[in-house]
Amino acid sequence: MIKTPGDVKTYKKDLKRALSNTFLGATLDAFASAYPASRANAFSGIDFEALAAEIARAKDESIPNLEKLLEEFTVQAQKAGAVVHFARTAFEANSIIASIAEENGVRRIVKGKSMTAEETFLNDHLERSGYEVTETDLGEWIIQMRGEGPSHMVMPAIHLSRREVAELFTKVTGQAQDPDDIGAMVRVARSELRRKFLEADMGISGANFAIAQNGAIGLVTNEGNGRLVTTLPRVHVALVGVDKLVPDVKSAMRILTALPRNATGQLISTYVTWITGAVECKSAPGSRKSMHIVFLDNGRLALAKDPVFSQALRCIRCGACANVCPIYKLVGGHNYGHVYIGAIGLVLTYFYHGRQNARAIVRNCLNCRACKSVCAAGIDLPRLIKEVYGAILEVEGEKPVKNVLLEKTLGNRRLFHFLLRSGSHLQAPVAEGRFLRHLPLIFSEEHQFRRLPALAKVPLRDKWEKINPVTQNPRYKVAFFGGCLTDFVYPEQGQALLDACRDLGVRFEYPMEQTCCGLPALMMGEKETARRVAVQNIKAVDPAEFDYVLTLCASCGSHLKEYVNLLSDEPLLGVKAAQLKDKVIDFSSFMTKVLKIDPSQFLAGGGKTAYHAPCHLCRGQGVREEPRELLAIAGLEYVQTKDEEVCCGFGGSFSLDFPEISAELLKRKLDNVAASGTGALVTDCPGCVLQLKGGMENRGGAIEVKHIAEIVAERRK
Amino acid sequence: MVEQESTAKFAERARSAQTVVVEAKDLAAVFEYAADLTLQQGGQSIAAPGIKGKELAHLSKLCQAKKIELLTGDLRQKADMISTGLTGADWGIAETGTLVVDSKSEDIRLAGMLCDTHVAFLKKSRIVPDAGTIEKELSRMMKTSHGYTAFISGASRTADIERVLTIGVHGPRELHVLILGEDKQ
Ligand code: SF4
Ligand code: SF4
Repeated sequence: MIKTPGDVKTYKKDLKRALSNTFLGATLDAFASAYPASRANAFSGIDFEALAAEIARAKDESIPNLEKLLEEFTVQAQKAGAVVHFARTAFEANSIIASIAEENGVRRIVKGKSMTAEETFLNDHLERSGYEVTETDLGEWIIQMRGEGPSHMVMPAIHLSRREVAELFTKVTGQAQDPDDIGAMVRVARSELRRKFLEADMGISGANFAIAQNGAIGLVTNEGNGRLVTTLPRVHVALVGVDKLVPDVKSAMRILTALPRNATGQLISTYVTWITGAVECKSAPGSRKSMHIVFLDNGRLALAKDPVFSQALRCIRCGACANVCPIYKLVGGHNYGHVYIGAIGLVLTYFYHGRQNARAIVRNCLNCRACKSVCAAGIDLPRLIKEVYGAILEVEGEKPVKNVLLEKTLGNRRLFHFLLRSGSHLQAPVAEGRFLRHLPLIFSEEHQFRRLPALAKVPLRDKWEKINPVTQNPRYKVAFFGGCLTDFVYPEQGQALLDACRDLGVRFEYPMEQTCCGLPALMMGEKETARRVAVQNIKAVDPAEFDYVLTLCASCGSHLKEYVNLLSDEPLLGVKAAQLKDKVIDFSSFMTKVLKIDPSQFLAGGGKTAYHAPCHLCRGQGVREEPRELLAIAGLEYVQTKDEEVCCGFGGSFSLDFPEISAELLKRKLDNVAASGTGALVTDCPGCVLQLKGGMENRGGAIEVKHIAEIVAERRK
Repeated sequence: MVEQESTAKFAERARSAQTVVVEAKDLAAVFEYAADLTLQQGGQSIAAPGIKGKELAHLSKLCQAKKIELLTGDLRQKADMISTGLTGADWGIAETGTLVVDSKSEDIRLAGMLCDTHVAFLKKSRIVPDAGTIEKELSRMMKTSHGYTAFISGASRTADIERVLTIGVHGPRELHVLILGEDKQ
C-alpha cells in the first residue's frame, strides 16, 4: 500500500511536492516550534542525558539475551494462561494471527495502534483473508480509511488538515461535518468506533513492553482505545517485536519515564495498561479471554548480534528523532521513512523493508545530529544512517561517479591537493571576487540558491611559514588542523586565528601532511576512504606532541573526535585516536577556557552580532556557551535569533544532492537572522560560512557573514 | 510530612492533566459527590461494581432517593447506559498524578472505560512519590495470574486532528479523584 521510491529522481519529485504543500509545512513547523519547550518542561527535574544513558545501558544488557528473556517471559505468560507464539518473519506473524482468528471463529477485529503491525502489513493480510479490521486509534482510523500509512510513529495523521478529516467523516457518516468543530468530529469517531468495539470478536494490540519477570505486557495510550481493544472482544492478540522484552518492572518503569515525555512532552500518557495472561472476559467461554502473544523476530535476533547496528534495537519508538529533524519538518513522514519514520526509520527500513525502500531516503540526511541529541535510548542515529548508506552502496556495487572520484582522490593527499591547487587556476575565468560567477556545468538551476565561493589563489598551507609568527617561550604548543575549506577556500580564517592569538603565548604548527578530515567520505558512505584519511591524519598530527589540536571547522573537530569509532579495532592507532579526541579544541573554547582572554584585550563598543550554532559544535562537541561568551568578551553585542541551533542546510555534499532542502533551510535561517536586525552573523565553521555567506550574497548581502575568529581578530587591541 | 507533600504534588500534577481533585471526608461523602455530579451532568446511572456490603446498601439508598439507577455488575450488557463510573484506586503516584487501579475484574474495567465521567476515590496514605516506591507492589499486582493493572492519568484524550487537544475520545470525558483522609481513630 505505501510506496517509497527506490530511485532518487522520483524521490526528489515527491520531496518537491511536499515542499510546496503549505499546510504540511505550517503544521510541522508549528509542532517543531512547540515541541522543544514542552519536552524540556516535561523533563524538568530529570537528568535526561543520564536517563538516556541508563536506558541504553540496560537495553545493551538485554539485547544479547533476548532469547533468554523470551524463554522466561513465555514460562510466566503461559502460567497465567496466555499462549505465546514466535514468528520468524512478518508473513509468519500475519499467518499465525489469521489462524488464531480462524480457530476462534472470528469475523470482526478491532485494532489498537501498533507500529509492529504496520511493519508486517497485518491489516492487508487479514482483510485479504476476509476479516473486517478496524483501527481504533483516531489517527490510525483516519489513515486506514484513506488507505495511507502513518506519517509519524506517535501522531500518525499529523499530515492531514481538519478539512481533509471533515471530508472523510462526511463520507463515512453520510452527514456533513464542520471542519472547524474538531470536538464534534471526535464525537463521531467515538460513537462509530464504540459500536465496532462492542461487535468485535477479536482485539489486536501491540505492546510497548513485555516483562520477562512476570509475563506481563504493557500498553501506553492516550485515547483509551487500547483498553477497550484488550477488554471487550473475547480474543486478544498482542503482536510484539522481541526487542520490547525487558527483564523486570524496574526496566519498564525507566523506559516509561522517558517515553511520553520525549514523545509528546507529557509526563505520562493517560493510560498505561499492564496485562498478565488470560484476563476475565465475560463474553468468552469460561469467562476467560483467549489471550495470545505473538513475538516477531523479522531479523531482530540477527540484528542483535551485529556489532554496529545492534543499538538500533534500543529504540523505544518515542518518535522524538522525527520531531527534531529539520528535514522531517520540511517534508513530513511520508517522505522521511517507509513504515518507520524519522532517523530511526532511515535505519530500520533497510533491515525490515529492504534496500529498494531504503536506498533513496537514506541519502536524505544532513548529519546535523539533532536526532541523536534527543534520542531516549542514546542511539548514534546519524552514524547508523551513514552505515546503512555505505552498506547499500557496497551491496549494489554501483557507485555514483562522485563516490568513485572521491575514493580515487581523497585517498591520495598529494593528488587531492594538486587538484585543489589546479582548480584555483582553472576557475580564473569564472571567478568574480571571492565568488564564482557561474556555477560549473555539473550544477543545475536548483543549485542557484547560494553563490559558491572561489578557491583561494594561495592556499593557507602555501603561505603558512610566512604568516606564522615566531613565538618565544610559548606557553602552549598547538597543532592547527586546517581542513579543506579553511586551507583552500578561506585561508583568511587561518590568518584571523593567528591575529586573534597574537602575543598570547601560543606556538602554532601546521603539520603539512594533514589532509581532509574524511567526514565528506563518511557522508557519502565511503567508510574505507574515511578510514584511510583518518590514518593519514593521525600519522601527520601526533597528538602526543601537542598541547591542543585546534581547528576552526566544527565538522572537522567533531569528526576528528570520532576517529575512535573508525579506528577502534586498530591497536596502536586506536590509542592515538583516543589521545586526539582529548586534545581537539574549537576556537571559542580555546580563547575563553585555555587563553582566558579578557575584555581589556579588545576594543569596546562593537555592533550587534547574531550567531549561528554549527551542528557539529553545539551537538557534535557540546560547545554552547563559549562562543557567546567570546563575543561578549570581544566587545560585541550578541543578539539571540530564533532556531539558532537548527542546521543551516549545508551538510557538505548534502547541499549538492538535495539543493531544494538545503535552500529551504538556508532561507529560514537567513529570515530569522534578518528579523533580528543585526549587522553581522558569525559562526564557527567554514562550511556554515560557505552556506550562509553564499545565501546572503544572493539576497544582496545586507548582513556580513564571518567566521567568529575573523570578528574576534578585528576587535583585538 | 512526606504524605502531605505527595498529596499536594499528586493534586497539582493530576490537575495539570485536567483531572478534578477534591478531598472527601469519608466514603459517604464520595457517594454524595458522585450522585450530585451525575445529576448535574444530566446523567442517569452510576456503575459501582466494586462497592460491596454495608457501603453498597448505603449507596443504593442514596441512588434511590435521587432517582439514579445503580449498576453493580454485568456492565457489558449495559455498555450504553453508564453515566458515571465509580471505582476505588489502589495507589496514587504523585510524580505524574497517576491512579493505579487493580482492574482484574472486567466490571471494574468497564466502569472506568465506558462511562462519561469516572469518579475514583483514593486513600491519602496510598499516595506515593513515584512509581519506584511501589515497584514491589506493582510487580506483585502484575504477577497474579490474569492481572490487569491500569495506570490512569486524566480523562481520555486525543490530539490526532491537527494536534488540537480533545478530551473524551474513547473513554471518560472527565476524571474526578476524591482523596480520602485517614480515619484517625
Ligand atoms: S542527522 Fe539531522 S537530518 Fe539526519 S536524520 Fe538526524 S535530525 Fe534528521
Ligand atoms: S531512535 Fe531514539 S528518538 Fe527515535 S524513536 Fe527510537 S528511541 Fe525515540
